[in-house]
Amino acid sequence: MLFLLTVVVYPLVYAVNLSLQYYRLGGFAGLHNFAFAFQDSLLAASLRATALYVAITVSAEVLLGLALAVAVQRTVRSVAGRTLTYLLFIVPMVTPPVAAGVMFRLMYIPEYGILNVLLHNAGYQGRPILWMSSPAMAMFSVVSVDVWQWMPFAFLVLFAGLQAVPLDVVEAAAVDGAGGWARFRAIDLPYLKPLLLLVLVFRVTDTLRVFDHVQVLTMGGPGAATEFLSLYLYKIAFKFSNLNYASALAIYVVIIVSIVFAVTSRYLSEELA
Amino acid sequence: MTAAHRSAWRPVILLVLAALAVLYLFPFAWMISTSLKPTRELYTQPPTLWPVHPSLEAYTGALIGARDWVLLRNSVVVCLTTVALALTLALLIAYPLTRLPVPPALRRGLLSWLLSLRFLPSLVVVIPIFATMRAVGLYDRLLALICIYSAFSLPFAVWMLKGFLAEVPPEVEEAALVDGANRWRAFFQILLPMLSPGLLAAGVITFALAWSEFLYALILTATPRSQTFSIGVWSFVTEFEIIWNQMAATGVISALVPVALLLLARRYVVSALTFGAVREKS
Repeated sequence: MLFLLTVVVYPLVYAVNLSLQYYRLGGFAGLHNFAFAFQDSLLAASLRATALYVAITVSAEVLLGLALAVAVQRTVRSVAGRTLTYLLFIVPMVTPPVAAGVMFRLMYIPEYGILNVLLHNAGYQGRPILWMSSPAMAMFSVVSVDVWQWMPFAFLVLFAGLQAVPLDVVEAAAVDGAGGWARFRAIDLPYLKPLLLLVLVFRVTDTLRVFDHVQVLTMGGPGAATEFLSLYLYKIAFKFSNLNYASALAIYVVIIVSIVFAVTSRYLSEELA
Repeated sequence: MTAAHRSAWRPVILLVLAALAVLYLFPFAWMISTSLKPTRELYTQPPTLWPVHPSLEAYTGALIGARDWVLLRNSVVVCLTTVALALTLALLIAYPLTRLPVPPALRRGLLSWLLSLRFLPSLVVVIPIFATMRAVGLYDRLLALICIYSAFSLPFAVWMLKGFLAEVPPEVEEAALVDGANRWRAFFQILLPMLSPGLLAAGVITFALAWSEFLYALILTATPRSQTFSIGVWSFVTEFEIIWNQMAATGVISALVPVALLLLARRYVVSALTFGAVREKS
C-alpha cells in the first residue's frame, strides 16, 4: 500500500508543485501555466485532433464490434467456429502497440508499402496514396490501427454478454413473430447495455491517452495532424523540457478524467462488483 | 426469426468473417515475410509478396549487429521481476481482503481506488515520475522500470487474484487450521497450490503487459543499459535510413512473446482486460 502511495500519490503532489512554478526561472508562478493553456493555439489544435480521433475510433470500434457480436452469435453455432473466431480476435489485442505500429508502417510506407501495390494491381490508376504524409490519410492510418487492434475488444466483451441472454426469452419472442431487428432492439440491447457502457468507458479513456502506435506510425505528423494530447504533452515535456507547463496540462487531464470516472464509476462498479 | 431468414444471412456473415480473418492476419504475414527477406530483396519493385530467398539475415542483423539482444535481455529481466513483485504485493493485498474480517467500506473503497488507477492516463504521471526518478538516481536504470511496471500492474493483479481467491472456499483452509496448521502453513501448503492456475494466468498477463509497455520505457531510459525491447523496435523507425527487414524482425519478436503467452492463458485475457467484469466459459 505504501508502495502504491509513493508511486502514485507522491508524483501527483510533485506535479502540482511543478505546475505552480515558472519555466526555467523557477519561483512561484501562481496559475500562470494554467492560464497559458487558454492562449495556446497548438494545444487547441491538439485537443481538436484528439477529440476527432476519439470520436471516430470509439464509434467505429463499438458499432463494428456490436454488429459483429450479434452476427456471430446468430450464425456461427459450432464450438470450433466460435473458438476460431475467439483466437483470431485475441491476437491483435495482445500484440504490443509498438509492433502493431511497425506492421502498419510496413504496409503504408510509400517506398515499400504493400498497400499501394495491391491497389495498383486491383486496377487503381491514380497517384500513389500518401498514407502517412497527408493530414487526412495520416489520421485515417492511425485510426485504422486502433480500430484493427481494439474492435475485437468490443466484440469479445459484447459477445460474452450475448451468451447471458436467456434462450427461452428468445424463443418466446420468435413464437410471437419477432424479427431479427425486433429481437435485437427488445432483447439483446437491454442485456448488453451495461457492457456497452463498460466498453465505452474503457475505449474512451484509452483512446484519450493514445501514444504508442501513433509515435511509431506518424510521430504526430504531418505537421500536427495527428499530434494528440499525449504526444503534445510528450513534446512539451521532453523535447522542449518545459516540465512546468506540461505538469499544468497534465493536471487538467487528471481533473477531467476524474470527473468522467466519478460520473461513470457508480454504474461501472455495479457491473464489476 | 425464421430458419429461412437465418440461412439467407449465413453465407454473407461467413464471407465477412473470412474477409476479417484475412484483414487480421495479413499484417502479420507481411511483417513476417519482410523479416525473412535478405536486404537486397527489399528494393525490388514491385515488392515480392513472399521472400524468394528467405534468410534469417534480418534477425541476426538486428539482434547481434544492432546489439538488440541486450535490450531483449533487459526486457526479460524487467518483466520477470515485475511479475514476481506484482504478484507478491497483489497477494498481500488480496488475501486479507478476501480472508480476514475487513470493514466492507474499506474493502470497497480500496478496490475501486485500484480500479480508478486503471483509468489514470500515464501521460499525467509520467512527468513527475521522470523528475522523481532523476532526483533519486534511478533514471536509466532497470529498477525504475521494475518499480513503475509493478505499481501499474498491481490494480488488475489484485482484482484478478481476488476473483481466484473467492473461488477457493474458506472451509479448505479452516479445515487445515483445525488440524493444527498455523495460518502460514495453511497459506503455503493448502491455499497456494490451489491458487496456482490463477497465479499463472495473472503472471502471464502481467508479463505480457510489461513486455508491451512503451511510454515509460521511452521516457525513463536513455542507453542500452536499461532500454527495453519496445524501444529497440521503435529506434528502427526513427533511424535515418530505415532497414525494413530488421525493423520487421524486431516487430516479429516483440509481437511473438505476448501472443504466444496469451494464447496459453487465452481463457483469462478478456476477463483480465475488463477487471473480471466479463467472464467467458471457453
